[in-house]
Amino acid sequence: MFKSVSGFCLLGPSPQDMERHHNSATRTPLNNVGVQRRSKSYRLSYRSCLGTAASRLGLTPALTARRLNTSRRALKPHGVAEKVDPEQLALLVKTEWQLSYVTPLHQFRHTQLKSYSRRLAAFIAAGKQQGLAVAVENPQTTFRVSFSLVEGMTESADDAETVLIQIHARPSFAGQDEPQRPAWSGWLTCVNGNPDYLRSLPKDFTCLPLFGSSGAEGLGALVKSWFQQSFDCCFGPLEVSHTSLQWLMALWTNCHTEASIQHLKMIWTLPAVPPLEVTYTVNPEDAWELWRSVRKQKENRGGGGEEEENCIDIEEVADFVQGLKSHFYRHFRLDLSAGSLNQVSTALGSAKHSGRMKISNSRYMTTTLTLLTESALLKMPI
Amino acid sequence: MDDTTKRLVQRLVKRIPAQMLRTTLDKWDRLTGEQKKSMDFTQSKWALTEKMLDLCEVNGLSVKHLTELEMIYIIDNPNKGMWYAFQLMDPQDDAHSVELMQFKEQFKSHLKELVRHVSIKIKKHTDEAVWIRIAWGDTFARPNHLKPTYVVHYLQSPYVFVTSLTLKQKPLLSQALVLSTRYQAIKDANLSGRKLTAIRDLLMRKYQQVFPTKYPSPLPENNPTISSIETFFVLLQMACEAFGGGMLPQLQSAVYKLETKFRDNSNKTMSEREEPFKCVVKFASTNLLESFRHCASSGIASTPVTPLLSCIPLKGRNYFVITDNGPGPSSQMRQPQN
Repeated sequence: MFKSVSGFCLLGPSPQDMERHHNSATRTPLNNVGVQRRSKSYRLSYRSCLGTAASRLGLTPALTARRLNTSRRALKPHGVAEKVDPEQLALLVKTEWQLSYVTPLHQFRHTQLKSYSRRLAAFIAAGKQQGLAVAVENPQTTFRVSFSLVEGMTESADDAETVLIQIHARPSFAGQDEPQRPAWSGWLTCVNGNPDYLRSLPKDFTCLPLFGSSGAEGLGALVKSWFQQSFDCCFGPLEVSHTSLQWLMALWTNCHTEASIQHLKMIWTLPAVPPLEVTYTVNPEDAWELWRSVRKQKENRGGGGEEEENCIDIEEVADFVQGLKSHFYRHFRLDLSAGSLNQVSTALGSAKHSGRMKISNSRYMTTTLTLLTESALLKMPI
Repeated sequence: MDDTTKRLVQRLVKRIPAQMLRTTLDKWDRLTGEQKKSMDFTQSKWALTEKMLDLCEVNGLSVKHLTELEMIYIIDNPNKGMWYAFQLMDPQDDAHSVELMQFKEQFKSHLKELVRHVSIKIKKHTDEAVWIRIAWGDTFARPNHLKPTYVVHYLQSPYVFVTSLTLKQKPLLSQALVLSTRYQAIKDANLSGRKLTAIRDLLMRKYQQVFPTKYPSPLPENNPTISSIETFFVLLQMACEAFGGGMLPQLQSAVYKLETKFRDNSNKTMSEREEPFKCVVKFASTNLLESFRHCASSGIASTPVTPLLSCIPLKGRNYFVITDNGPGPSSQMRQPQN
């Protein structure tokens, strides 16, 4: 049921990266095979921590619905705004991030961030020397790297603190102002990760499974490469699954009374020839009413108590989406289930199936990141 | 050379792709053979601009001539920018006998009465289309040649297509059109798109229409004797009846503003709600009608095809506001207020 060990790190580094691994100054002691063996014996699989039920399901994509938590707490505007440094928060919101999953980092120390900044800068300079493509107009440009700790992103004691990385291009001409926007920025985070899994990790491993990247792709590739070499980890693309997209639709709509979503927009693609794109935008009040009616039905079905009220089940999400689809079908006799959901967005944020995500309102960041952290942990091989 | 002329040259050279520039200059016929040979179309746009400015100076060419060049280019490449369709309403008795010269004179004189400074160029194109270029000025300002409006009217039809028209200019143009065509009113046809040829073909039905066969085909749902091939042909027939056969006009989008009540047996609360469920649905494709036709013939769309979709070719429009009409559950089309 588990993927074979040989599949473990092959997903991560490309052959190009493997080459760099041997040539780079910042050498890590082991080749890939050694890493796999050590990791395999020291780390439990994430899936085994979900319990036997989950492990029996295997790797079939169709069962994704059951692999993500089937219920989650409703979005409360966590006081993220108060807990996180506003300058850092401003860097995280209103930017579209490309998501990846990352396997646990070996011997990553939050106390060594300054040293990592220097090492990554050196790595990038070395990479440039070897002629690796870094999208920069001026070949004289040097890069300044900064790693910073973002405290307050998560409430759980098991979660490792979020790390933000920025790379500023320093133009070689003296007297020029430092550019305002970084050439590349990214972050690693873990928000409300599965505590059983996190506690099962050996002490040497830090779990920051969700990685977001924005900016020059060449720089992003170098950053990932450096992490892979330095901490024996693997990066892989993280799509936002259809189930996750539907969760986000429901979770965001659920917030409408506290923070107007302004609209609920979905983009579907139907497999016609040529392909047909459907943008279905629902008025916020109407989306809210539909959601409320679905919640009420659950109440009537026998869910009671305040604990339940705060919990949203996947059935409710499914009913909500089904309601939207059936309204559509009534008019156009086109079944959206025949197509695929590619993107959802509201004033609170947007998410694309391709793995791009933007948070527009920091108050609701935590639950979005919780969902994505879960997806990342599930997507990790082994 | 004055500033306007210069800017117009710059704009045109920038806008017209290098390979088209050659043919357009040929048609324009304002440069000598020698001069045309001296132009190197592989050069940068900047270099070409400089060259053009020189040649225009030498030949004494002005804004008047350059607008000709622009018009030639636009007529040959009409599938850029956003075009909006309008329909003239309530023809007067002599509307159908209006011919080109009369229309030209009337349009120019009416528009000039309404707008103090305006520059109008009218040209008849081969396919019965009358092209009009309007550079708008006002009481104080001379006509702005950098933001012209283009209008295409098919004489003998009530259809007019317009691009680059501001809200302020709209009533002026409408008035001039109505008076010169001898109709009483003009309305928005609720059809728009980037390709003039596509919306024209759709509105004026210049594509292959497929009519129902002699015998109405039953939906072969629970009939075991009907083969899958027959089903395929039945669906294909329905799809073509709804959307057309052969090559379809390349419409790229359609927008539906839905204001109908939510009705779903499984959701009692919503079904009892008085207010409409407001949403907007936009369909987009490189060829929308082909996509819809394929949906119908392949089963992605349930047949019979809903009138909401088949209305696009039937009525030649791609913007709809759908409301409930009366107590019944079915939705009908209502025209938006003009």
